[in-house]
Amino acid sequence: MAITGYLAEFSLAEMFQFLEQGCKTGLLNICALTGSGVEGQKNHYIWFNQGRIVAAASSLNQQGLVTMIGQRGWLGDRAASRLSQTCTIGTPMGLCLKAQGALTAEQLKLLFYSQVMRQVCALFELGDGWFQFDPKVPLPAAEMTGLSAPATEVTLAGLRALKDWSALADKLPDSTSALISIIDGKPQLRLNQVEWQVWEFTSGSVSLSAIANQLRLPVEKIQQVAFRLVVSALAEEIPLIAEPISLTPETEPAELSVAPTEASAVSQSFLQNLVGFLRGKV
Amino acid sequence: MEIMRLVVTGPVGAGKSTFIRSVSEIEVVDTDRRATDETLMLKKRTTVAFDFGRLQFGPEMALHLYGTPGQSRFDFMWDILIRKAHAYILLVAAHRPHEFRSARRILGFMKQRSQIPMIIGLTHTDCPGAWDAENIAIALGYLDANRCPPIITVNPNQSASVAEAVIALVQHSMQGCLV
Ligand SMILES: Nc1nc2c(ncn2[C@@H]2O[C@H](COP(=O)(O)OP(=O)(O)O)[C@@H](O)[C@H]2O)c(=O)[nH]1
Ligand SMILES: [Mg+2]
Repeated sequence: MAITGYLAEFSLAEMFQFLEQGCKTGLLNICALTGSGVEGQKNHYIWFNQGRIVAAASSLNQQGLVTMIGQRGWLGDRAASRLSQTCTIGTPMGLCLKAQGALTAEQLKLLFYSQVMRQVCALFELGDGWFQFDPKVPLPAAEMTGLSAPATEVTLAGLRALKDWSALADKLPDSTSALISIIDGKPQLRLNQVEWQVWEFTSGSVSLSAIANQLRLPVEKIQQVAFRLVVSALAEEIPLIAEPISLTPETEPAELSVAPTEASAVSQSFLQNLVGFLRGKV
Repeated sequence: MEIMRLVVTGPVGAGKSTFIRSVSEIEVVDTDRRATDETLMLKKRTTVAFDFGRLQFGPEMALHLYGTPGQSRFDFMWDILIRKAHAYILLVAAHRPHEFRSARRILGFMKQRSQIPMIIGLTHTDCPGAWDAENIAIALGYLDANRCPPIITVNPNQSASVAEAVIALVQHSMQGCLV
């Protein structure tokens, strides 16, 4: 089933987390809405294989990678397409050209960096856009270097460079919330210094504002770092209770004051009666 | 009186109030009767911040339903509600991916404080743009199907559908730690 929506509702960071965690394969099409009319629309295509980003392009003409190679003067368009004729169908073009000695491993890395890391990271700046993920689209061998990156690694890089966070304002963990680690041990992803500092607090009990105090950083900054840790699937937001609990008859709602402090078990016959009663209403 | 308490939680607009309204039948209590806890309860009903519904299905048996407060602030009220509850259902509007993060936040809060049985009810599955259950599970962070709570579809506007959802929740908790 294709998934469609607007980035203002489901941000690119959330989408990448979803695609990585769901080990999704397919094509993510992002149509940036920068102005009005057709001129204000610009398409971006990102291909995923098992939750990893394998290629990106601004068109579906399958010429993006060849053009990039040509621009760097490594191989003419004609030569590249002639060599690629001999590739086994489905083999990433980059790997095929490398096998034929036309490109080096280092060149493939540079290509992947410009094609995926640079282009995709820039998309985090988009204020709004329409997106569609189609899991039925086959992988584009002609656009693939053969390298890939976990979607969340790209998210981390994209969000680190992000200047304007206003589009994500209501997605950020609350300053009264804590973070709790959801991985075993330490993150495999390379974190920067402030991310490590915040990571040290992922015990589920220290609020982001308290972390900000300890690190002497603005709380907004800590919320942004916390969001990065959350969308890269390292930590989860745990809301803390705003006020201290003091159970007085005034504060406790009347419905509940009749109830015991802890839920006591209900009997099997009660449950059977209840289910029987509800079945009558179905 | 034997009472089972269920909490209905979820982001704003998920359908909590509608859900509780569809299943409860709060009768007018004869005020001449001696002031039981229950009459007190009904008088104060309008002053409290959360939805409350009741379903009496036997002389000594009742189901109480509590809806968590609308705002995303997690105050002491939430804590009281979950500590006294036997089970809860998290309602998630399937067509509003905007709210998935807020649903996750609620889950984080609940899981931290309570181990009671829970299920997830997808509402608004009849609306355009609704995500399917498998994808919503991923978006909520349930990556291992074996460790995912039961996910059902429910339309809070239909009392039969709500009755089925409550049955699913009750049956799920029967398999759990209640008895
Ligand atoms: N079409 C449709 N509307 C629903 C469904 N569930 C809830 N609604 C509507 O969504 C709106 C919000 O529901 P409400 O119970 O107030 O949500 P609450 O904020 O969680 O208490 C109401 O207009 C409901 O009738 C559903 O499954 N389908
Ligand atoms: Mg409500």
